[in-house]
Amino acid sequence: MNAQVKESRPLVEMIDIQKSFGGVHAVENVSVDLFPGEVVGVLGHNGAGKSCLMRILSGAMAPNAGRIRMRGEDVRFVSPQDARRQGVETIYQTLALADHLDAPSNLFLGRELKTRWGNLDDKRMMVEARRVLHRLNPNFKNLSDPVSRLSGGQRQVIAIARAIYFNVKVLIMDEPTAALGPAETAMVADLIRQLRSEGIGIFLISHDIHDVFDLCDRIVVMNRGRNVGGYHIEQVTKDDVLSLIIKGEMPDGWRPRNAASALQPGLNSH
Amino acid sequence: MSVDVDRIVVPLARVKITSDALHKLSALFTLFMLIALFAFGNAAFLSVGNGLTVLLQTSVIGLLGIGMTLVIVTGGIDLSVGSVLALSGTVAGLAVKAGMPVPLGMSMGIVVGALCGAVNGIVVTKMRITPFVATLGMMLIARGTALQITGAAPISQLGEAFGKLGNGSLFRVIGMGSNGLPKVIFPGIPYPAILLVVVAVTVAFMLRRRSIGRHIYATGSNEEAARLSGVAVDRTKLAAYVMSGALAGLAGIVLMSRLVTAQPNEGVMYELDAIAAAVIGGSSLMGGVGTVSGTMIGAFIIGVLRNGLNMAGVSAFIQQIIIGFVVIMAVYVDQLRSRR
Repeated sequence: MNAQVKESRPLVEMIDIQKSFGGVHAVENVSVDLFPGEVVGVLGHNGAGKSCLMRILSGAMAPNAGRIRMRGEDVRFVSPQDARRQGVETIYQTLALADHLDAPSNLFLGRELKTRWGNLDDKRMMVEARRVLHRLNPNFKNLSDPVSRLSGGQRQVIAIARAIYFNVKVLIMDEPTAALGPAETAMVADLIRQLRSEGIGIFLISHDIHDVFDLCDRIVVMNRGRNVGGYHIEQVTKDDVLSLIIKGEMPDGWRPRNAASALQPGLNSH
Repeated sequence: MSVDVDRIVVPLARVKITSDALHKLSALFTLFMLIALFAFGNAAFLSVGNGLTVLLQTSVIGLLGIGMTLVIVTGGIDLSVGSVLALSGTVAGLAVKAGMPVPLGMSMGIVVGALCGAVNGIVVTKMRITPFVATLGMMLIARGTALQITGAAPISQLGEAFGKLGNGSLFRVIGMGSNGLPKVIFPGIPYPAILLVVVAVTVAFMLRRRSIGRHIYATGSNEEAARLSGVAVDRTKLAAYVMSGALAGLAGIVLMSRLVTAQPNEGVMYELDAIAAAVIGGSSLMGGVGTVSGTMIGAFIIGVLRNGLNMAGVSAFIQQIIIGFVVIMAVYVDQLRSRR
């Protein structure tokens, strides 16, 4: 993180977010924020509420209470479309692709390019899709095949392309490398660094501690629906993070590794 | 010469036969085999008059099948089309009988069909009832209403104008015979057939070239993905059911017009023919797959089978058995192919 980033105001602030299903509190009074050009790892074991929190930000789920602010202004996301209009894009773990459609149709699904007469402009969508897909993977072929026939890596590339094509400002990545081989994982890591350098804010949901320490500037750990800690990555060790994930608290007698960074903005632990 | 060979080989290699196209080709092949078979058995089968009869008979199943295809592609099913056909036809008949001009009365029939479809769509999307149950309910409601408002009796003497849509034809050429009596030189293209072509082309265009069409496929292919991609899934489904209902209404007035009688008992089990046409034509009941052209071929396979078997003197019961086998075989062959 450089000085310029520190001074800018948060891109996203999620304040006192609450979500419950029946009597179960999936997310309890959680606040997190995200600055431009920052990668924030969202950690926690399954059912800790991290995916739920991110679904609220992506507009796929409405919170019971709490506010979302983007660049200091209150926003309300009723549908994924609302979030996308504000530049919040999500790469879902399931990739959310329509299997019977081809790559361009998936890339532009819900935001199709149209001709003057309002008809689908398949030619232009194909040209654009080829351009953006080849930027991510020069070997991408079979653009007109149904995506069900493509490999896991190719499907992931389509999901990523769809998220970055439309002027993304905040990117939510849910386990983006879980289904990938080493080469493709490296490609995703490079992409994350590149997007960060372009000033895009990224929430990275990951189980892979190695990835997290490799890519994230900051982490937020969730345990049983609560935010149990937000730290700069230099402050913590892998063991600290594991303790937070599993027990919901730091090991006894814990002190930040690098005390200087403890006062930096963007921390919102409760 | 190798340059020339390259020039030829490369484009050929690019021609990929998709599984969808393959299914359609095999269905088309089946259709032509049937026609050849029946023509071989009975020369009259290939006459212009019989061809037009098949066209006329198929138009109703074709219209229902197109609507059914839209719903099936979204991953749903519409069991109500046969009953909605009857309700729309009887509403149109009653309206005309009450003194309403024929075009207005028939429009009312179509609107009633669309309304039934809208109810189906709302029950499916808002009340979250599965399409099978929702449209099964509508099947009973529409049939019951049709029987109730007519007192279960057919409405006849609707006038010549009411029969025009179902019995009239374009480019009918009537000359003077040598005996001085009028003689039909060309029977003309029946209006129902023209209507079917117009509807088929329009809906095919919508599915391929409009975003609503793309959204229909996406919804049936992966509903959650479509929703997360910003597709208004509920509105897309609603549109499919409304169109299916409206087309059932259209089929209803075509059929009642052909009979020049509004029959509340018409169209029983037509939904099954419509589903069979869609499935023979390659639609998948799992959603996401299906085309208008495929369904048209499917409808004509059923139409030609019925007509040919009729001419061969095969009983209606045996016909049902044969069509049942055809449906199962069509889906089986499709599964064999996609498993590869």
